[in-house]
Amino acid sequence: MFLRLVADSFTRRPRRKIISMAALAMGMGVATAALSVSLDVGDRLAKEFRSLGANLLVTPEADSLPLEIGGVDYRPANAGAYLPEADLGKLKTIFWRFNIMAFAPIVQSPAQLLTASAMEHPAPADYTDIQVIGTYVNHAVPVPDGTTYVTGIDKTNPWWTVAGRWFREGQHECVVGAALAKRKGLRSGDTVYLSVPDNSKKVQVFSSYAVTGILSTGSSEEEAVVVPLADAQTLARLPQSYRQLYVSALTKPEDAFARKDPKTMTPAEFDTWYCTPYISSIALQISQELKGTDVRVIRRVAEGEGNVLSRVRLLLWLVTGAALLAAALAVGASAAASVIERRTEIGLMKALGANSGLVGILLAAEQLLLALVGGGIGFIVGILLARVLGYRVFGFAPEPRLFVLFVVLGLAALITLLGSAYPVRQASRYDPAPILRGE
Amino acid sequence: MAPSPMFWRIIRRLITANYGRLFVVLLALGAGAAVTSALLNLQIDAKKRLTTEFRALGANVIVTPRSGNSQNGNGATLDASFFSRVPGQYEGKPVPAVAFLYVIAQVAKAGTIHFEPAVLAGTEGQGITQIRPGRRTEYRTNFESDPNACEVGVQAASQFKVAPGDSLQLRNQGSEASCKVFAIVATGGAEDTQIFTNLQTAQSLADLPGRLSLIQLSVNATPASLNSFIAALGRQLPDADVHGIKQFAEAEGRIYSRISGLLSSTVLLILFLTSLCVMAGMSNVAVERKNDVGLMKAIGGSVRRVVRLFLAEAILLGFAGGLLGSALGIFVSMWLGKAVFGVAAHPRLIVYPISVALTVLVSIAAAFPLRRLASVRPASVFRGEE
Repeated sequence: MFLRLVADSFTRRPRRKIISMAALAMGMGVATAALSVSLDVGDRLAKEFRSLGANLLVTPEADSLPLEIGGVDYRPANAGAYLPEADLGKLKTIFWRFNIMAFAPIVQSPAQLLTASAMEHPAPADYTDIQVIGTYVNHAVPVPDGTTYVTGIDKTNPWWTVAGRWFREGQHECVVGAALAKRKGLRSGDTVYLSVPDNSKKVQVFSSYAVTGILSTGSSEEEAVVVPLADAQTLARLPQSYRQLYVSALTKPEDAFARKDPKTMTPAEFDTWYCTPYISSIALQISQELKGTDVRVIRRVAEGEGNVLSRVRLLLWLVTGAALLAAALAVGASAAASVIERRTEIGLMKALGANSGLVGILLAAEQLLLALVGGGIGFIVGILLARVLGYRVFGFAPEPRLFVLFVVLGLAALITLLGSAYPVRQASRYDPAPILRGE
Repeated sequence: MAPSPMFWRIIRRLITANYGRLFVVLLALGAGAAVTSALLNLQIDAKKRLTTEFRALGANVIVTPRSGNSQNGNGATLDASFFSRVPGQYEGKPVPAVAFLYVIAQVAKAGTIHFEPAVLAGTEGQGITQIRPGRRTEYRTNFESDPNACEVGVQAASQFKVAPGDSLQLRNQGSEASCKVFAIVATGGAEDTQIFTNLQTAQSLADLPGRLSLIQLSVNATPASLNSFIAALGRQLPDADVHGIKQFAEAEGRIYSRISGLLSSTVLLILFLTSLCVMAGMSNVAVERKNDVGLMKAIGGSVRRVVRLFLAEAILLGFAGGLLGSALGIFVSMWLGKAVFGVAAHPRLIVYPISVALTVLVSIAAAFPLRRLASVRPASVFRGEE
């Protein structure tokens, strides 16, 4: 009889049940969407912040003091220490290798530039002093495990834009900084001649490079010529070496624990620290792998990123909380409404001899059934909603998680019970007579 | 036809007929309005806060000499008068600005004779710590007021083995100077290798009195407003090159658009939920009022008048819920702003009418189930048929 009553209440007035089920499903759908997006979005946001640029700088340990002003090192190319290019693949063998998003080695040297028109009969004024920067763009780095890893400055510094296209390696191609191009009237398709002066020789050898693009960076690189690393090594006579390495790593924002000095940690603490992608532990792992290097955290990027990231994450959870609250309210209200409308029925049941407890259990069973079905539908709706939202706002679709399903079903059951508790208690206290008279 | 006193009396009765339901509907509308206004307010505020947050990354505008091509440390320079022409304020907020003159000098710790080249940055202006973010690892404030005080980058400090309190000898092309170290600074950038002195020391060492290498500014403005600042400053300083630092401006714009998209889609979802919630209540109302509507129709009320009655009720409810909820929401957003960004969100008056209007719209949309009442046939209602 109990089951029949429950079943009847669903089949006899399907319309009302559908409305409260829809409210429940939508509420839980929103809760699912909010939860799935915020569970997945943290990593995505961290990746978004990598567009701020590299957060680690690797330099030779035994280096003389760099004379760097505005991004240009004024040391002669033969002064100071260099690092072997062949080791770079080891970056992808550290513990947090998947958190290394990109890296770009740099060789920089003062050089002289001649335009094609001046090449025939160069006057002394035609020799323009410039910086030549060699780096990777879309370069396949061999990794010790036999694979290759494609990376370059276009990934570490995504704000660098090239009008035209980036150079290809081995083709004697280059890109020219926007300010330099404007000054010398250079355009894509032109040819320039570059040479790094060699004081031990009388005759300077100029090699030709085809300009494939004009580079805008918003800083000193706009005055330079950028060539593939191998070409810069040849020009500067520094085979197989680089001077600086910019690494862009995905990190966890630093907390109080991360700021502790690793030397004062207990072994257990050290393990935790080492196995957490803090910027400082990644820096340590890189310096262990690349011998003779000094790995420094680029503070302005790393700290700015950490601050903004933790604030945005907090905001995300607050918004999720607001969505959950609204969903709970919607579900609770519809549960309450569906009990209020059944006063007559409850009156009749009591008139026929049902006691308050039985009426309460009956209504609760109905609500629970509603919650489970509605919550299940809501979960499916929510997954779809999360896909649409995630894609539109963050450019990715979050994966459905079983964990969210359990949370949502539990939440649905709890909220419908809470929402109907008060009206159910009221209802089970009704005096049947006035209700049946229609008062 | 102006509503008669009878119209208002009926409305009053309709609204106060069932206090429990009134409470549920008002709670739903009020909570919806509160969340809407809180998130909208936070959305406007987040733009400013994010901008402020990004200022922790350092300078975002830089003024350099027009032909910035130089191969020795101090090639093209600016006249110092440019620095005095940089505005001290923008949009009511102070603009930290620092003038730099870079010299490559020979440096040694006082008392030693081993000189090595290092970059000397002469600085003048307000807010060096905003322009050059990082940490002062060692800091002795009592030396800072010394006219010959200097800060040393952490790499340079270890190269020259100096600590706060030590002095450095500086030499360049026959001129000599000295400075007393008051802080060691770590930024992770080129600044770690530099020595920061006051501008006059660098100018006299470089023999470039009244000249500057560049000016850096940290302008607290949204990306669009920053661009107009750069354009205006460019017109004001026609002989110099004024440009923004692209690195941060782009990331900031991208991250703001993500946050803003997230907040507005949440607002939409919550308004939708609110309307569902109110709709659940209203569908009960529709059933209960069959008799009333039947009676109204029987004594000659037109369908239009009946619909107007219920519409007026929905608008009134929405208005009341919206007024209360939105006001609450603005307070909530101030608190949220404090929790997220550490600074209470500034309440925007524009948010209030918008969220009240949205709530009224939601309430009208939620009155949709009442449309069934238009088709009520008085005779069948009175016979007790459904």
